[in-house]
Amino acid sequence: MTAPVTGPGVSGLRSGARARRKARWTFDNISFFLVFLGLPLALFLLLVIWPFIQAVFYSFTDWGGFTQEFDIIGLANYERLLNDATFKTALGNNIKLAIVVPLVVIVVAMIFATLVTVGGRGIGQTVGVRNSGFYRVVSFFPYVIPAVVSGVIFSKVFDPSNGLLNGLLPEFLRQNWLGQVSTALPASMFVIIWGAVGFYMLLFIAAIKAIPAETFEASRLDGAGRLRTMWSITLPSIRENIQTAWIYLGIAALDAFVYMHVLNNSGGPDNTTLVMPQYLFRLAFSQNQFGYASAVGVAMAVVTLVFAGVVFTINRLTGGTTRSN
Amino acid sequence: MASVTFDHATRVYPGSETPAVDALNLEVADGEFLVLVGPSGCGKSTSLRMLAGLEDVNSGRILIGDRDVTDVQPKDRDIAMVFQNYALYPHMSVADNMGFALKIAGTPKAEIRQRVEEAAKILDLSQYLDRKPKALSGGQRQRVAMGRAIVRSPQVFLMDEPLSNLDAKLRVQTRTQIASLQRRLGVTTVYVTHDQTEALTMGDRIAVLKDGLLQQVGTPREMYDTPKNIFVAGFIGSPAMNLGQFKVADGKANLAETHIPLTREVLDSLTAEDNNEITLGFRPESLDTTTEGDVGAFPVTVDLVEELGSDAFVYGQLANKEAAQAITSGAGESQMIVRVDPRRPPLKGDTVWVKIREGEQHHFSPATGLRLPS
Repeated sequence: MTAPVTGPGVSGLRSGARARRKARWTFDNISFFLVFLGLPLALFLLLVIWPFIQAVFYSFTDWGGFTQEFDIIGLANYERLLNDATFKTALGNNIKLAIVVPLVVIVVAMIFATLVTVGGRGIGQTVGVRNSGFYRVVSFFPYVIPAVVSGVIFSKVFDPSNGLLNGLLPEFLRQNWLGQVSTALPASMFVIIWGAVGFYMLLFIAAIKAIPAETFEASRLDGAGRLRTMWSITLPSIRENIQTAWIYLGIAALDAFVYMHVLNNSGGPDNTTLVMPQYLFRLAFSQNQFGYASAVGVAMAVVTLVFAGVVFTINRLTGGTTRSN
Repeated sequence: MASVTFDHATRVYPGSETPAVDALNLEVADGEFLVLVGPSGCGKSTSLRMLAGLEDVNSGRILIGDRDVTDVQPKDRDIAMVFQNYALYPHMSVADNMGFALKIAGTPKAEIRQRVEEAAKILDLSQYLDRKPKALSGGQRQRVAMGRAIVRSPQVFLMDEPLSNLDAKLRVQTRTQIASLQRRLGVTTVYVTHDQTEALTMGDRIAVLKDGLLQQVGTPREMYDTPKNIFVAGFIGSPAMNLGQFKVADGKANLAETHIPLTREVLDSLTAEDNNEITLGFRPESLDTTTEGDVGAFPVTVDLVEELGSDAFVYGQLANKEAAQAITSGAGESQMIVRVDPRRPPLKGDTVWVKIREGEQHHFSPATGLRLPS
C-alpha cells in the first residue's frame, strides 16, 4: 500500500503524545479489524442475532411454517402460553432437570475427582487411590459416546421385558422404567448424569491438580480428613470451576432434547419426561404452529437467562468473585 | 512436647535403586532445635517429610516420644509444619488460617480466638488477622505460617527451608526471631536448610547429610572444630575450609616446597590404602602471614581480595602452578582462601607467604575421607 507510515515525530511536537496513542487508518489497522472483528461479528449477526429477531417476530404471528401467509396477532401466542398446561408441565420437567442433574453430576464428579487426585491413603505423599489413572480413563468413556447412542443403549437397558436392568433385578423390583409416571423422569435423569459425570470429573481433576500439593499437605497436618479437606480446601479453591460446571450443566438440562427424544419421543407417560424443546419441536414440525412454537422458544431463552442470573447471584452472595486472582 | 527418633529410617523412591534416605539414625531430644543441612538432593527434606508422614518409610521406624508413628497418618501425629512456600489457605483470612487446626480439633470458638490472638501478638500480626494471605507481604506470610504452627502447640515443629523465599536482610532478621521463639516455646524443632550459616546460627545441634547418608551430628562448635570427614569439613564454615592433598615422606606432609611436620599418631593411623598421601584441612582463619623460608610456609598468589570490613579474605592459589590444583576450597578448583588483616590487605598479583597455625590443621585419610586422630 502507498499509505505513508506516520511515525510518532511526523505529526509534530504539538500533538505528538496524543497521536501515538490514537489508532490511524492504515491498511494494517483496517484489514485487522475487518478480519478479526468484522467477519466474526457479521457471522454472529447473520446466524445468531438475526434468526433470534426473526423468532421473536414470528412469535407475534400465527404463521404455520409451510406457507407464505401469516397474520400478526400481537401477544395472543403468549396469552395462550400462560394458560398452556402442557407447556407448564414441560417447564416443570426442565426445572427439575436443571436442579437435580447439575447437583448430582457435580457431587459425584467431585467425589470421583477427589478420589483419583488426593483421596488416597492418608499416609505418604498426597496421591489418589490405587489405579487412579485407570479409573480416570474409564470414567471418560460415557462422554465419548454420542448422546443419541447412549439414549438408544439405555432405552434397551430399561426395556421392561427384555432389558438388561430388569434381567439383573429380582422379580419384585422389576419395573417398566420408562413407561410409568413414578420412574420415567428419574430413569431419564440417570442417563443424562451417566453421560456427563466423566467430563466434569476430568474438569475438576484438572482444577484440583492446579492447587499446590503443599496446600493439601498443610491441611492433612492440620488434622483434616478426606471429607474435611474436600469441603474446606478443595471446594473453595475450585469454586470458579464448579460455577462454570453448574451453568453448563444447567443449560444442558434446560435443553436435554436429544436424551429425552430418544428415550421417550412421545414425552413419556402423562408427559412426565416432556421438555420444552421437545414441545417446541412437536408444535413446529408435527402441528404446523411455527408462530406459537417461536413463542415457546422465546420463553426458553428467558428461562435460560434467568437460570444463569440465579447461579451468578448465588455465587456472589456466598462470597465468590467472577474474576480469578 | 516430645523427643524424635529416626531408627534406621529408609526411603527409596519408586523407580530408583539408591535410597533417598539411607538407614537414618538420629535422636532429637525434647525441646531441642535440630538443623538438617546438606546440599540439594541429600535427603534432608525427604527425612523431614518422613517425620511428617508425607513420605513413606520403606524400612526402619520413626518415633515421636515413645510412640511409633511409622504407620500413623500425618493428621494424627500432632506435628506442625512450616513450608517453604508457606502453603497458606488462600481463601481463608489470617485468623482462619491460624485457627484451622483447632477448628478441626473441635476447640471452642472463644478459645480459638484467644489462642490465635496470642500467637498474632507474639508474631506482630494483630492488625492483619482479617486479611487474606494475598494481601500480605512475603515476610508477613512467613509469620502467618509460623503462627499457624505455634497456635496448635504441637509436639514437634517441622520447618522446611522457611526462610528461602525472603530477601537477604529479612532472612537474617527472621532467623534470630525463629531461634529465640523456639527457645521461648521450648518445642522440639527439626529445621531443614541448605544454608550452613543458618544451620550454625540457629541449631542446638546440626545433622549434615549427603546422598541420603548421615555424615555427622553435633553442636555447631563440634561441627566446626572437629569435622568427622572431608565432606563435613568442606561444607561447614564460610568461607570454606582449604583442603589439600599432600605426599607423606620423612614424617612430613609435603607439597612442592612446603613441608609440614606430622605427629606420630597421625602417621601411625595412615594405612596402605592411603598410598603415602594425606589430606590436610585448614580454615582461612588458621593461616598466619609469615615470611619466606619459615618451616611449613606456603607461597600464595593473590587472585582477589574480598574486604568485609571486619575481615579481609584473600582468594588465591599456590604460587607453584603444578602443585596449585592440589589445594581446593569450596567450589573453587586450585583455590586457597586466607584471612588477612583488613587494615593491610595484599594487592592482586602479590605473593604472600602463609603458615598453618600450630595445631589448627585437620588430618583426613584420602582413602576413606575420615578424620584421623591427632
